[in-house]
Amino acid sequence: MANRILVALKGEARGFFRSKSTVFWTLAFPILLILLFGAIFSGGGTGKVDLAVQDLSNSPASLTYIDALNQTGSLNIIHVSVSEDINAYIKDNSPGAVLIIPSNFASAFAPNATANTTSLLLRTDPTQSTSAIAMGIVSGVSSQFNLEIAGGANVITTSFGDITNQNFNFIDFFLPGVIALTCMTTTIFWMVSVMTRYRTNGIFKKLTTTPITRYEWLTSQILWQLFVVFISVAVIVAFGIMLFNAHLTLTWIAVLTIILTSALFSSMGMIIARFIREEEAASAAANAITFPMMFLSGIFFPLSSMPSWLQSIATVLPLTYAGNALRDTMVYGNSSGAINNLLIVAVLAVVFFAAGVALSKWKTE
Amino acid sequence: MAETVIEVRDLVKKYGQFTAVDGISFDVMKGEVFSLLGPNGAGKTTTVEIIECLRALTSGEVHILDMDVKHDVLKIKNRIGVLPQDFNAFDLLTVKENIEYFGGMFEKMLPPDELIKAVDLMDKRDEYFKNLSGGLKQRVGVAISMVNDPDIVFLDEPTTGLDPKARRDVWGVVESLKARGKTVILTTHYMEEAEVLSDRLGIIDHGKFIAFGTPREIIDKFGSGSNCIISNCDDRCLGAIQGQWPGALRHGGDITIRLESKSSLPEIIYALDRSGGQYDQIQVTRPTLEDVFLSLTGKKLAIEENDILFHGKKKKRKKGAA
Repeated sequence: MANRILVALKGEARGFFRSKSTVFWTLAFPILLILLFGAIFSGGGTGKVDLAVQDLSNSPASLTYIDALNQTGSLNIIHVSVSEDINAYIKDNSPGAVLIIPSNFASAFAPNATANTTSLLLRTDPTQSTSAIAMGIVSGVSSQFNLEIAGGANVITTSFGDITNQNFNFIDFFLPGVIALTCMTTTIFWMVSVMTRYRTNGIFKKLTTTPITRYEWLTSQILWQLFVVFISVAVIVAFGIMLFNAHLTLTWIAVLTIILTSALFSSMGMIIARFIREEEAASAAANAITFPMMFLSGIFFPLSSMPSWLQSIATVLPLTYAGNALRDTMVYGNSSGAINNLLIVAVLAVVFFAAGVALSKWKTE
Repeated sequence: MAETVIEVRDLVKKYGQFTAVDGISFDVMKGEVFSLLGPNGAGKTTTVEIIECLRALTSGEVHILDMDVKHDVLKIKNRIGVLPQDFNAFDLLTVKENIEYFGGMFEKMLPPDELIKAVDLMDKRDEYFKNLSGGLKQRVGVAISMVNDPDIVFLDEPTTGLDPKARRDVWGVVESLKARGKTVILTTHYMEEAEVLSDRLGIIDHGKFIAFGTPREIIDKFGSGSNCIISNCDDRCLGAIQGQWPGALRHGGDITIRLESKSSLPEIIYALDRSGGQYDQIQVTRPTLEDVFLSLTGKKLAIEENDILFHGKKKKRKKGAA
């Protein structure tokens, strides 16, 4: 049995690599998506580094300090109101760097100072190249202040912190989605085309005359698809990291999600091919199913940015959970969230595979 | 007495109201070439596909190599080789790789090169399947049908859609199968093919045998006498012949008279002579299976030219195999 699966697997692999255009387009599709959307959304920027400043002191001294920061010309100062909870602000606005000026800032410079020192808090996202610029400028302005006002004493110190709600750039959000999308399109279209084609051109007929069973054949196809999907994933991750400095970790949850998502959509392809016999019509049907999923499953845009009625549609689309699981585990490091999504994908994969195998009988009555 | 390898008893196959196979029974002996002959839709492919365990039967008994098609599907598939109707293999695999692919599905596999030699394709061994002509593809199909060294080889319309030269090449391969001691089950709608290749045959129409036996037996039994064909007759000849033999068939200037006995030939020549008309030649033909079929059913079995055109142009599978 294992031997027959291997033989069938090897046959598909040979045919695949000999069809240069198939290889090219299989890999080119996700790369094109990354290049396109990466270029659109990553943006060049103004050359200035954004710095969100919350001035708890709100005194002439602190305003002078902020003005000094502004004078450097390299920072784009964003004022955060005192009343705002800074963590909530970070979560909602994903700033690259945040500076908090403490309330005792002014008193440190008063002639009869109650406090000798005051400590600024600069929180940056260490994964962003701009964080070093922000650090350098803040340190520079602080030492200038120390020199001019306190006569060289270390009145202003800066403590550094990370932005706990990490700031992710678009490509980080986007890449796991592209991986999920690739799992879907690669497998569903392969299955639909291979099954309709083999049925039309008589290869199924010939296969039925041999001892291979349809379970074995379908297993070989799914294994083969996994192989193709993992090549694509490697290419996607490599491009994302090299061109857009993406931050992804490949976890076992991610690997499992990729496997189950591929199995899920392979099975969906089987079911489509079972009901629609002509190759062209079947691939049109696969398009009709994958296209809305592509846009409604939060692959290109976060679901939260969509109207609520669209969000409720997204909750019934399998791709939503595949994308969420991958994003949770690969980017946010949120394993429990990822596992919940993964479980949904797993259940769907089992249901669809069982239905696919049950429906795709190849014995003619 | 030769060993029986296939035993079919009262086989019936129904698709809803339609009866495709209507209670046929026959035996096939080890080492013979047995043909099922009939027009498209007669039930021959359905019959062989039931024996090959590809279709479920409605009623009756089918045993092959002492195994029941209802229970021993995998065991049977391992011991038979099948060239299905409209055979196709993987376009982007070579001849040898295709043979290895299908060979890998069986418990036993003969060396691919040996099979390639057997169908005389050594020079095409590393050619992609898609680059082969129709006749060569069929020969690859025959090689694949032998890959598991089967006891019985089924060839389902192996020459349909081939040009006459390719058809004869395939015949040669079938004869070599027989020489290797294989039992061959052949379905065809070409009478000539069945006549040349088969040891025994059954003619099927509407799911039933209408004739059964060796080609010679069938012709002797159902082909009543020879035909005399007089070509390019003028009106006087035509008038004389049609006056004396009202049953004669006329196609333009050609006229065909069925000879019930040899003695009627001189009468024909005498009648032509007396009419004083002109004609090109007189030809006496032995009856063929084609004539047998015509006389049994009143219709022609296959119109070959149209058939080749049809299959050559349209590669799509026919829906609902015959």
